[in-house]
Amino acid sequence: MINAIKYSRFLNSIAEEIDISPSKYQDAVNRYEAVGLWLERGDYEEFSDELTIYPQGSFRLGTVVRPIKNGFESSYDIDLVCELPMDKEIVAPRLVKSIVGDRIKEHGIYRQLLQEEGKRCWTLEYAEEDGIGFHLDILPAVPNPLTNADASIAITNKRDFSYSWSASNPKGYGVWFDNKNRSAFEFVLHEQKQSIQARSPDIFLRVEDVPNQLVRTPLQRAIQLMKRHRDVYFDDRHSNEYSPISIVITTLAGHFYRSELDTFTALSNIVDRLHAHAELIANQSINSTSPIKRTQDGKWYIGNPVNSNENFAERWHEDNHARAIAFFTWIDALNRDLVEIIKETRSEDIRKILSTSLGIAIATAHFELIVPVRSENIEVPKIHIPHAAKPWRV
Amino acid sequence: MEDELLNQIKELQCVHDGLILVRKSASETVLSGILNFEASVDGYETISSRFEIDLIVPIDYPETLPCVRETSKKIDSNYDHINSDGTLCLAIPIEERRVFSEQPSLLGFINRLLIPYCYGYCYWKKYQIHPFGEAEHGFKGIVHFYMNSLQLKDEVSVLSVISYLYEHGYRGHHRCPCGSDQIVRKCHGKLLRSLIEQHSTHTLENDFLSILIYCSEKNEREVIKIPERLHRQILRILQTAQKQCR
Ligand SMILES: [Zn+2]
Repeated sequence: MINAIKYSRFLNSIAEEIDISPSKYQDAVNRYEAVGLWLERGDYEEFSDELTIYPQGSFRLGTVVRPIKNGFESSYDIDLVCELPMDKEIVAPRLVKSIVGDRIKEHGIYRQLLQEEGKRCWTLEYAEEDGIGFHLDILPAVPNPLTNADASIAITNKRDFSYSWSASNPKGYGVWFDNKNRSAFEFVLHEQKQSIQARSPDIFLRVEDVPNQLVRTPLQRAIQLMKRHRDVYFDDRHSNEYSPISIVITTLAGHFYRSELDTFTALSNIVDRLHAHAELIANQSINSTSPIKRTQDGKWYIGNPVNSNENFAERWHEDNHARAIAFFTWIDALNRDLVEIIKETRSEDIRKILSTSLGIAIATAHFELIVPVRSENIEVPKIHIPHAAKPWRV
Repeated sequence: MEDELLNQIKELQCVHDGLILVRKSASETVLSGILNFEASVDGYETISSRFEIDLIVPIDYPETLPCVRETSKKIDSNYDHINSDGTLCLAIPIEERRVFSEQPSLLGFINRLLIPYCYGYCYWKKYQIHPFGEAEHGFKGIVHFYMNSLQLKDEVSVLSVISYLYEHGYRGHHRCPCGSDQIVRKCHGKLLRSLIEQHSTHTLENDFLSILIYCSEKNEREVIKIPERLHRQILRILQTAQKQCR
């Protein structure tokens, strides 16, 4: 048995490790503000009002996870919306995409960092000296309000050589997520800012200087851990094209979070509630109040909480429900690896399960929080030295 | 190489699970953490110890070998075998490569080079004696390494051998550069062939230049005499190298 309090502390340390560090966060903000300023200061013939730049996705939501690629920790992805004050009805998506791209290319350095045109965005790739770089994805967009005070936008979509619009509402989604997070956020706010400031006094002179964006609730921690587990679980699996997308994980976790104030309890409750939906694969019964639904025609529905027309699970029925099956198989593994493990008694098994499911580097670094550090009964490698080189000095 | 490196890291971590992959950049991969071991040496006491290290694996590994830093200041700063950049000086480069070639993997590097070094340090700390001896510093150490391992009679022969290796590589039917009047195959053949196999272009060139600088300086002070023939050969090598630079 692992002590639940210790285990929660362990999970927090893991989440902290895969999270963006305060200094990296500051770097990222500086980088994107500089890009934002450059875009704002452009001389645009097509419009006269100000354009706006804001983060969306995990960077906005505080659920950033350092991606893992082929077993290695890799660069952070940061998504920015660049909203041009243009009328969707009279402007073509191709033009919106190229206005932003052209302006980026006017800058000597950005031109060099710019990657090949993406489906929806322009990507600047920053290789940093410490080896932990960023991908800055800039999504050109225009306002697309459904009602008066609505923050919905239309983003461009490139397919082969033609462009179309897609609906999106990152600001609205952010507000929805903040609401789910609010009461826990208030609760952890002060304590976390204090501890962040204490650990990085050279970055934040005072506790008040720590931005809210760096505070993490158990919901955000749980989402980070789920994403990490997913990344490791699907990293070398053939089914990785069916790996659940982050927005699905974030949305469902948001729905199933009940403001639990400890990371393990939050994670285990979310996973439990998701687990209970696995029977939807066999059973097409429609529970109209659940966030995961089957529709009359056997398809799946996980609605965008701020735009019910957008279905995050619209492809789940394809390939014989491959994405749905992958999702629930993964939830099963997640339950076994990160929730049920608390009942495990042998520390070697605990080590093994946690290091294979979270990444060996990250998990081993924090084992001392839950299992006794190497004692005599744990093998120290025995090395025989038959002959040896002589030490030297240049 | 990416996959191969990953496998080597996994193999290493199976034995030394305190070493953790901490970062990977365009120029290097770094493992960091704790190295626990119990090391035995015939005729000496068994030593158990624990070091905290950074293992820095360069992007062109195994062409270039990893380097190691000790991170917990366990090794006295006055210990003689730490380079000025803080890396541990495990051995003379070619000897390091020879030992590495016996088990060419990260695990081999740790078990055959780093742990013996750590053992040597612990033993020295206790008894002020180096159980495996120590190489002389700088160029002198390199010259003496060749002299001892090839059983050469003097420094000029070392210069002759390294110039030959740098210019020709291994040629079994040539006259042996040691000055014995026999052909290479019948004289230093085996040893020269394995030297060539173990060297990278870079380390061979380094050793050639190190030995050349060392001998030239002694030649100038008239402590040794570089024969005319060898002198002309070296000029030829340097001219060719210069041309290639242009
Ligand atoms: Zn010979």
